[in-house]
Amino acid sequence: MKALLNKEIKLASSIITWLFLVFALMALIPGYPILVSAFFLGLGLFHSFQNWRENNDILYTALLPVRKTDVVKAKFSFVIMIQTAFFVLSLILTVLRMTALKNSNVYVTNVMMNANQFYLAAVLIVFALFNVVFVCGFFRTAYKFAKPFVASSILTFIVIAAAEALHHIPGLEFLNKTDSAADLRMWIILLAAAAVYIAVTCISIKRSVRLFDQIDL
Amino acid sequence: MMDTVLKVEGLCKKYPKFTLADISFGMQSGRIMGLIGRNGAGKTTTIKSILNLIHKDGGSIQYFGKDLQSCEQEIKQQIGYAAGTVDYYKKQKIRKILDITSTFYENWDEEACRRYMQLFSLDEDKTPSELSEGMKVKFSLVLALSHGAKLLILDEPTSGLDPISRAELLDIFTLLAKRGVSVLFSTHITSDLDKCADDITYIKKGRLQYSGKLSDFIAQSSAAGLGGTLEDIMINSEKETFDEGLA
Repeated sequence: MKALLNKEIKLASSIITWLFLVFALMALIPGYPILVSAFFLGLGLFHSFQNWRENNDILYTALLPVRKTDVVKAKFSFVIMIQTAFFVLSLILTVLRMTALKNSNVYVTNVMMNANQFYLAAVLIVFALFNVVFVCGFFRTAYKFAKPFVASSILTFIVIAAAEALHHIPGLEFLNKTDSAADLRMWIILLAAAAVYIAVTCISIKRSVRLFDQIDL
Repeated sequence: MMDTVLKVEGLCKKYPKFTLADISFGMQSGRIMGLIGRNGAGKTTTIKSILNLIHKDGGSIQYFGKDLQSCEQEIKQQIGYAAGTVDYYKKQKIRKILDITSTFYENWDEEACRRYMQLFSLDEDKTPSELSEGMKVKFSLVLALSHGAKLLILDEPTSGLDPISRAELLDIFTLLAKRGVSVLFSTHITSDLDKCADDITYIKKGRLQYSGKLSDFIAQSSAAGLGGTLEDIMINSEKETFDEGLA
């Protein structure tokens, strides 16, 4: 798997995927739907999928001395690695906003989503959706990705809209707090989202392996 | 005594408009086998099935006495595959493709790789898209040969090559066979087989017609009045079907 991941990084991935990690910085923008950054990361990953398809990477990989199922696992490893890098970057920026910048006027009066545990949880949910709808959808054919990408984009924007709307509902204002470090509810939400991300990604890998095994390259 | 390097038994693959049915053949070490048949006969489907690139509907495939499904990774370390041309990473430098590919093979021989690159006059700084069709075939052969494969599986490697390159390639096959490497290559250029093949597997409309020694096949077909060369035999055999189709 190490050699496969090395191949993904040095040969197969698109530079755009790496550049789009910078969108994590959107977490610092006030008055902006910052969760869109998670969508942009999906768009960046989409470019790597496009690269793989255009360079016949799936066939190249399947011919290497690896199991056919490893082709799927390598792709997921790459996707998870990029999503983790994005999440860590977002986490650092969120901590910055929740500590040094928590009393900053632009964030305190922010009517849009603030970067806090709920934001990080929503990022993980968007990633989980990307993995189950787009990545899994791609491995139905290992070739066609337009429909899975449109479907995952629509669902992502529904999640973004819902996440942005929730804190305007009476009783849920706490979701947009800038000083939520001591709020247990927020930590529970983040942990639950992490559990959902892990479970959905594991299911997506299993399903993709099964789908990929059935297709003819 | 020669070892069995490949054993295919009862291989089946069904498509909506084509069926590959009950294909069985075996290969010994140090032999060159031609997989023949006209376009659409099922040669590529057979090769893709034995490489686990397509999902077979029946049959078993064993390499070196081991089942492909359960020992895929181990088996792939010992076989090399090359299609007519390299059709992946056409815009990447050959050096980069070689560097990455080498990390996957336990027995990658850097020295042998350089020797083959030199022998085939390949430039590491070029990309596959800058190579002619013949050079692309040679590059895919470098990839297949540099990890000391015991069996080479080649899908139409001589298609698109000029006569000199084809002759050179066939000489390489003969040399490799002398060193104990087995070569299975599909082709519809029967004159290539006359020059170097020991055995043939002949597929017609997805069904096995013959698998065994080339000399025996020619003797049997000649006695049946189908002609004295592989080309005549194939034309006479396939043409009958064509005539029937028109009738």
